[in-house]
Amino acid sequence: MSAETLQVLADVGKGKSTRGVLRVIILALIAGASIASRLFSVIRFESIIHEFDPWFNFRATKYLVANGFYNFWDWFDDRTWHPLGRVTGGTLYPGLMVTSGAIWHALRALTIPVDIRNVCVLLAPAFSGLTAVAAYLLTNEMTTYNSAGLLAALFMGIAPGYISRSVAGSYDNEAIAIFLLVFTFYLWIKALKQGSMLWGALCALFYGYMVASWGGYAFITCLLPLHAFVLILMGRYSTRLYVSYTTWYALGTLASMQIPFVGFLPVKTSEHMPALGIFGFLQLLAFLDYVRSAIPSRQFQTFLWLFAGGIFVMSLAALVVATSAGVIAPWSGRFYSLWDTGYAKIHIPIIASVSEHQPTAWPAFFFDLNLLIFVFPVGVYLCFQELADEHVFIIVYAVFGSYFAGVMVRLMLTLTPVVCVAGAIAISTILNNYLVAKTPTEEDQQAAEAAEKKGSKSGLKSATKPVVGIYGLWSKSLMVAGMAVYLLIFVMHCTWVTSNAYSSPSVVLASRMPDGSQHIIDDYREAYQWLRQNTKEDAKIMSWWDYGYQIGGMADRPTLVDNNTWNNTHIATVGKAMSSREEVSYPIMRQHEVDYVLVVFGGLLGYSGDDINKFLWMVRIAEGIWPDEVSERAFFTPRGEYRVDGEATETMKNSLMYKMSYYNFNNLFPPGQAVDRMRQARLPEVGPSLSTLEEAFTSENWIIRIYKVKDLDNVGRDHISATAFEKGLKKKKTTKKRGPRVLRVD
Amino acid sequence: MRWLPAFLTASLAFASGSLAAKKTSEERFNSFHAKSIASSSAAPIKLSDASYREFTAQPRDYTAAVVLTAMDSRFNCQLCREFQPEWDLLARSWVKGDKSGSSRVLFGTLDFADGREIFMSLGLQTAPVLLLFPPTVGPHAVPNPEPLRYDFSNGPQIAEVVHSWIARHLPDRPHPPVKRPINWMRWISTTILALGSLTASYVAWPYIVPIIQSRNIWAALTLISILLFTSGHMYNHIRKVPYVASDGKGGISYFASGFQSQYGLETQIVAALYGLLSLAGISLAIKVPRISDSKTQGVAVLAWGGIFFVTYAFLLSVFRGKNPGYPFRLPPFV
Repeated sequence: MSAETLQVLADVGKGKSTRGVLRVIILALIAGASIASRLFSVIRFESIIHEFDPWFNFRATKYLVANGFYNFWDWFDDRTWHPLGRVTGGTLYPGLMVTSGAIWHALRALTIPVDIRNVCVLLAPAFSGLTAVAAYLLTNEMTTYNSAGLLAALFMGIAPGYISRSVAGSYDNEAIAIFLLVFTFYLWIKALKQGSMLWGALCALFYGYMVASWGGYAFITCLLPLHAFVLILMGRYSTRLYVSYTTWYALGTLASMQIPFVGFLPVKTSEHMPALGIFGFLQLLAFLDYVRSAIPSRQFQTFLWLFAGGIFVMSLAALVVATSAGVIAPWSGRFYSLWDTGYAKIHIPIIASVSEHQPTAWPAFFFDLNLLIFVFPVGVYLCFQELADEHVFIIVYAVFGSYFAGVMVRLMLTLTPVVCVAGAIAISTILNNYLVAKTPTEEDQQAAEAAEKKGSKSGLKSATKPVVGIYGLWSKSLMVAGMAVYLLIFVMHCTWVTSNAYSSPSVVLASRMPDGSQHIIDDYREAYQWLRQNTKEDAKIMSWWDYGYQIGGMADRPTLVDNNTWNNTHIATVGKAMSSREEVSYPIMRQHEVDYVLVVFGGLLGYSGDDINKFLWMVRIAEGIWPDEVSERAFFTPRGEYRVDGEATETMKNSLMYKMSYYNFNNLFPPGQAVDRMRQARLPEVGPSLSTLEEAFTSENWIIRIYKVKDLDNVGRDHISATAFEKGLKKKKTTKKRGPRVLRVD
Repeated sequence: MRWLPAFLTASLAFASGSLAAKKTSEERFNSFHAKSIASSSAAPIKLSDASYREFTAQPRDYTAAVVLTAMDSRFNCQLCREFQPEWDLLARSWVKGDKSGSSRVLFGTLDFADGREIFMSLGLQTAPVLLLFPPTVGPHAVPNPEPLRYDFSNGPQIAEVVHSWIARHLPDRPHPPVKRPINWMRWISTTILALGSLTASYVAWPYIVPIIQSRNIWAALTLISILLFTSGHMYNHIRKVPYVASDGKGGISYFASGFQSQYGLETQIVAALYGLLSLAGISLAIKVPRISDSKTQGVAVLAWGGIFFVTYAFLLSVFRGKNPGYPFRLPPFV
C-alpha cells in the first residue's frame, strides 16, 4: 500500500504537462505567500498609507483620478513650497500614479467599486507577486534546473530586503520599480541570448516604464552598458549583442525622453554617458567586424583592434573634456556621492541627512537577507563554471550591486534581486546533487576516472573533474535535512523581520501597556486632523521638510518645504527660522506668510524620531547658506556635547526649535523635576518663554505641537515688550487677588 | 640650563614688543608686511608672546589672522600638523598675490612652545585655533573688535575652504586666490611609472595574458570584493570606525553593541565567517559530487556540512549579540 502510494506520488512529477501544472500552482502559491506576508500592517493597524513619501504619491494619485491624465501632466501645485509652488506634473515620476489610476479605472469598468486608497495600499503587495514571477523567469535563463527558478521566486517573494519597501501601505515608487527592474533584466537576457529585436524592443518598453516610475532607473542605464562592455573586453562581441543592445538603447532612450522630468538628460548628463558611449563603440565594432570578415590579413586585424582601442580612449578623453567644459553635466550629487563617499557630507548636507543615504553596517545585510547573504557568493561562483553571456551579467550585477548596497542602505533594494537569483542557483545546485535517489555505480565511477585522466577544459579549477554523484544515503539525508533546517530558519526569519521591523506605518505608533495589551499612539493623525478642522483652508504651515508630504496629504494645508527637497535654499530658510532667536525668526515667518509652526517632540514619550534629534541637520543645512548667522558650533557646549538641559548653550536655549519643543513642558512635572525622557536630561526649572508665537495645539502624547504665529501688535510694540508688559500685568492682577475673599451675596 | 636661552629670547622679544607697542598701527602693519614679503617662506609670520601682542594690538587698521597651534610632537596634535601646510600655503599665496598690501591682512602663526602665556590668557584648551582680528580703525573698521574664531569641528580643513571663510569676512578688498604649487615630482614620477608599466606589460604580455584570462583569478577577485562589501567594509571606510574598542574592563570588545555600529575587526570576523560559509557551500555544491571515492566523499560531506552548520550557528549567535531580541538559534551556540 505505502509503496504504491509512494510510486504514485513519484510518478506525479514525471509527466511534462503535470510538471508544468505543478510549476504554475507553486508559482501562484509563492505569489500568494509574498502578498500575504506584506499584510501585517493592514491587519494590525488598518488600511493606511505609510510614512512620508507615500503620502505625496497618494495625494498625486487622488489628483490624477479626480482631474484626469492631462491635468495631472500639467499640474502646478501652489500648495507646496509656498510661495514658490512646484511644477508637480513635470517633476515627478508618474509611473506609480498612472498604474494605480489605471487599475482603479479597470476595476470600476468591471463594476467593482473600490476606494482609490485601497488600490494604493495594496499595490505594492500585488506587484511583489509579479516580482516573484519575474525572478523565476530571470533565474530560468541562468540555469537548466527549473527548481532554481522556483526557489528564486520564493526568495524574492519573502526576502526582507525587498519587503522593507513593499509592505501594504508603502505606496512608493519602489513598489512597482523592483518588478520592472527584474523584468527588464529578464528581457535583456532574453534579447541578448537570442539576438532578437523583438525582445530588445520589449526590454526597451519596460525600461521606459521603469524610467517613468523610479529615479533608480539609472542603475539599469549603467548596468546594461557595463555588461556589454565586459562582454566586449572578454572578446565576446557578437551580432546578438549588437542587435539587442542597439535596439534597447535606441528605443529605450526615446521612451525615457518622453517623461518630462527626464527630458534631455539621457544625452546631457554623465550618468547616461556610458550607455551612449557603448552604443557608439558597438557601431564601430560592428563596422570593424564587417571589414575584418572582408580582409583576412592578420596584421590588418591587429591594426583594427588597436584602432578600436585608440578610438575608445580618445572618446573617453573627449568625454572628460566635455564634462569639464560644461557641455555635459557632471554627475549629479546623489550619484556622485556613491563614488566619492565623502562628497555629500561636505557639500550637500541635505543628501547626507537622509537616513536612507547612510552606509550599511553588516547587521543590516544579515537582517535583510539572512542565509542568502553567504549563499550568494556560492551562486556567483557557480556562474563562473559555465560563464555564458548571461552569467557574466549576474557577476557584474553582483559586484556592483553589493558595492552600492554597502554605500547606501537604500540600495539594498537593488541588490536583493541578484542575491535571490544567485542564492537560488546555489541552493538548487546543492539540492539537485543531494536530493536524488540514484547512487553512482561502478561504471559511473570508472567513466569519471577515465574522463579525469583525459582532463576536461572547464575554466574553473574546482570543476575540472566530471560529476560522479553522491554515494551514501546518509550523507544525502544529512545534507537535505540540513538544507531543510536552514530554509525553515530563513522563512521564520523573514516572517519575524517583516512582522517586527517593516510593518509599522510610522504614522501610527504602537506600544505595549504594562499588562501586555497593545496601545495605539495616534498623535500624528490627531494633530493633522486638528489642522484640517481648525485652521483656514490656506493657512501656511511651517515644519521641517520631513512632515511636508504628510501635512499636504493628511491635513490638506499648504507647506513651506516638503520631502521633495528640490530647493535647498528654501529648506535652509526654514532651518534658519528654526535655529535662530525669535527676533530673527519672526521676520522670516512673516515674509513667508507662515500661520502655524509644527514641531515634533518626543521628550514626553521617549520617541526618538523627533525634531530635537534632527535639529543639528537643520542647523547644518542653514549654516551651508548663511555661515555667518547660524553656526553649528554654537549649539555644542564648550566640551563638545549636544545638550538640552540646564547646561545647554545660550544659542540652543534661545533657538525657536528649543523653545517650541519645551514650552510649558515643565508644567507637567512637579517644580524642578521636568525630565526629557528621550534624552534623559533634567530640564531647568524655568521653562522657555515665547513672545512671537502662541501655543495652538498639543497632541495627546505631546508628539506634535502646533504654534500660531502672532499677528503684528495692535499698538505697534514689538512682541517681546508686549509679552513683558502682559506678564507684568498678570503679576499685578495676581497680587491684587490676594486680598481677603469676600462671599458675594446678591 | 636649556631654559636659559629661551628665557633670554623671550625677555628680549618682550622688550622689543614693549618698544614696538608704541608704534602706530600703520607702522606695525608696514613692518610686519615687509617681513612677510621678504622671502617666499616668511609668510605666515612666526610669532612669539610679545610679537603676538604687537601683532594684534589695538588700535589697528588692518586685519590680523593668527593660527594658534601646537606643533610639538609631545602634544600629539594631528589636526595641527595636517592644517599647518595648508595654512602656510594660504598665507604665502595671499601675500604673493598682494605684494602691495592693499588687502591689509597679516598672517601669523603662534606655536604653543613660543606663546605659552597667550594660550593661558586666552584659556585655550584645544588647538589649532584660527582667530581673525578685524580692524578697529580705518576704512574697514567694524564695531565689534572681538576676534572671529574659525570652526575646526569638521576635521582638517583645506586652504581653499579657509580662504573663502576669510574672504567672506573681508568684503570689498582684494582676495588673492590660493595657488597650489605644481607638484613636479608627482607628475614626473607618474609619467615614468606609466611608461614603465606600459613597457613592462608589453614585454611581459605573453605571461600576463593567462593571468588576465584566468577564470580562477577573476572568480576569486569577485568573491573577495562581494564579501568585503557585504560585510560592511564601506561603512568602515565612510565612517572611519575604530578597529577595536576596549570593553571597560581592560579587555577587548570585538563586537560593537547596537545594530547600527560596528568595529573594523568585527567586519573582518564577519567577512571570514561569510567566507567560510561560502567555501563550505562551494565545496558541497561543486567539489564533493566530483569525488569518485565513496569514503573520501563521505568524510568530505560530513566535514563541510559540519563546518557549515557550526559556522552558521555561530553567526546567528553573533547576530543575536547585535540584536538582542533575535529569537533564532542553532545547537552549539544556544
